[in-house]
Amino acid sequence: MKIDIERLKGIVGEKGVRDNIADLYVYGSDSSVHEATPSVVVRPETIEAVQEIVRYANAWSIPVIARGAGSGSSGHTVPIDGGIVMDLKRMNRILAIRPRDILCKVEPGVVCDDLNRVLQSHGLWFPSTPESGRIATIGGTIANNGSGVRAIKYGTMRDYVLGMKVVLANGALVTLGADTRAQASGYQLDRLMVGSEGTLGIIVEATLLLRHLPKFRAMGLAKFNKLEDAGETISDIVASEVTPSLLELVDDIAITALNKTLNMNLPQVEAIVVYECDGRLKEAVDYDMETIKEICEKHNAFGIEMGSDAKEMERIYSGRKKLFAALSRYRDGFVCTSLADDMAVPSSKIAECARKIHEIGERNHVVMNAYGHCGIGLLHTKILMEATRKEQWENARQAVDDVYSYVRSVGGTTSGEHGIAISKAPSWKKEKADSLQMMKAIKVALDPNNILNPHKLMDAPDDWVTATKLRYPVEL
Amino acid sequence: MEFNRLNKWGNELNICIRCGYCCEHCPLYKVSNWEIDTPRGRLLLAYGLLTGEVEPSAYVAEKLFQCFYCEDCSKSCSAKVSPTDIFTDARADLMESGFDVQGTTVRNDEKLCMACGRCVSVCKSEALSMDMENMRVLVDKVKCKGCGVCVAECPVGAMSQKEGFGISSKELSAKIESSLKNMNGITKVIIFCCDWSIYPGLRLSRMELMEAENTSEVIVTVCAGRIDPGLILDAFYQGAWGVMIACCPLDECEHDGNYRAQERCALVERLLDMLGVPSQRLQLVHFATGETQKLKSAVDSFVSEIASLGPI
Repeated sequence: MKIDIERLKGIVGEKGVRDNIADLYVYGSDSSVHEATPSVVVRPETIEAVQEIVRYANAWSIPVIARGAGSGSSGHTVPIDGGIVMDLKRMNRILAIRPRDILCKVEPGVVCDDLNRVLQSHGLWFPSTPESGRIATIGGTIANNGSGVRAIKYGTMRDYVLGMKVVLANGALVTLGADTRAQASGYQLDRLMVGSEGTLGIIVEATLLLRHLPKFRAMGLAKFNKLEDAGETISDIVASEVTPSLLELVDDIAITALNKTLNMNLPQVEAIVVYECDGRLKEAVDYDMETIKEICEKHNAFGIEMGSDAKEMERIYSGRKKLFAALSRYRDGFVCTSLADDMAVPSSKIAECARKIHEIGERNHVVMNAYGHCGIGLLHTKILMEATRKEQWENARQAVDDVYSYVRSVGGTTSGEHGIAISKAPSWKKEKADSLQMMKAIKVALDPNNILNPHKLMDAPDDWVTATKLRYPVEL
Repeated sequence: MEFNRLNKWGNELNICIRCGYCCEHCPLYKVSNWEIDTPRGRLLLAYGLLTGEVEPSAYVAEKLFQCFYCEDCSKSCSAKVSPTDIFTDARADLMESGFDVQGTTVRNDEKLCMACGRCVSVCKSEALSMDMENMRVLVDKVKCKGCGVCVAECPVGAMSQKEGFGISSKELSAKIESSLKNMNGITKVIIFCCDWSIYPGLRLSRMELMEAENTSEVIVTVCAGRIDPGLILDAFYQGAWGVMIACCPLDECEHDGNYRAQERCALVERLLDMLGVPSQRLQLVHFATGETQKLKSAVDSFVSEIASLGPI
């Protein structure tokens, strides 16, 4: 693929283009198991520059992959066909905060936690911030329909995008949605962009709904000797009149990893449930916390801890917060791979799903744990395995397939928030079998030359293991 | 090329899940926003060198020699991977193979150096030594952590760091100038803030509207020990009404930069006194990581105190 580097430099300036092998190698990875090297990285700072780059790429059918922080876990920004990686991190201005309209306008490269730092002084916050919000950008979070730990009460990204400006594959700039919460007529094209994983357009500005910061928060932690009891507790809480602002499950494998990696001294039980309530009235928050505590006790919880000051809450939540990376030291010789990393099942199936994940891991000679934002039926797992052994990738392939077969069998879905991209595409395509043609038709209509993040989602290869080079040193 | 030291990190590089959470804190990333300037980016380079996917080159070496060793990446990693240890071994291997680059390390201009040895005495990393035979200062680039304490200590300006990271004397002076220019009609206060103890405001995003409303300007340096008396005086000379230096609590700075800052503040206070400028126009304050609110209220009270004093 011949790319006119000078032309790109003409658009974004000499300093906005990188094409040496070292930079390209770095931009070929994210948090997934995949690796592929782009042909060039460009860093536009204006909407006009994005338009011009896309027009050029469209004329020559060159892939364009929009990239925020590169924190995705399924290969979203891995340039499977090479081409232009468009790094949007310099389009990082917070353009307006309008407290009276409870909204803000931001460029795609704004980092979620930065936005919340600014909003705090207005008594506002943006709740749809993923755990990776310390680096994850708004653009990436929209494109992936991220949600984070507070989705149980506050919803997902889809609920917060009022409107956006998008550069389409032909370079045209379109304004979708409006600055209002009520939007009734026509196709909800702004919603179509949410979760489209960079395949339909490049988000260059977003108008986001905000919330008032809750005045009071309290957090609790309950231990369970049986995973099933924790699952029943979660199902009962979800079905109760209380809406916690956070409801998380941590299983025994995760507890072992946290204790081993970070010396956290957590009790070696089968499951821990962490919950949080928030609101305007302390009494109301306390009342909800008490109700949840009673539900936990009904299902044999013990050692329940509760706290409402910031330090105490940080201590209670610290294990869950540090879990993802800590899993990488669960067992010597094993590493943590982002595979089958999220799914959603009906709330009543949480315990059963967690148990299934453990069984499937064991059956396939890998280790799989279960944790996640269970309040919205969302479970995360990771596959812990010897990534340098060829056979383990056969095992992983089968384990991923088994997990999602089960998820589909109970009416669940392949991804709750992490997205599909490459490594979850084979399972997702089975789930969405009867709507794939509809999606392909939309893609062709908006991107006839297939330049925007090609070969992801419905167009991703059928075998994720061989779709790209793997990030680990292993010969398949 | 042989990677005798880097080789032992192969497994650690696989353990790294590449989540990128280390990027948030990196002073280099905050300046450039390029991913190659993140701890994750440099770990990828190290991995690429080991697998042969990245050819050793002066550019790659330069990147691996760019690190201020604040170690926030290592401290924040939940997988307990230590990027800085890996970079140090990569540096040693690259040096051995002849890649002699500067990165963020200090350079000694032998034409200016008087071999007084003051830089050697303040270097806590033992990166500087005196070649007594030839009466010259030697820099061990593998050990140098780029804190800049020696740059501020050198009485003749022989020690320097490369431009591009926002910490050279020229860049800091230019930043003071542009900050003061933007403070028309308001209290002109310059705050030097140590990035390693606290980073005020936005890390990776921009909000120009908010910056325009500021009554003071925070200039972030890598270590308070990098602030030399000349820079403080420069701020006053260029029109600042007051200067505040925020650094780590005593005994919590691994470079002893806060002690150096204390000594230098005392020196500047004496000079200001001789010039008839009240010493409360210069203040040194200590902050631990995360004490953002404490810093904010200290800045607010300093600004109101300076406002009552008016311009010099």
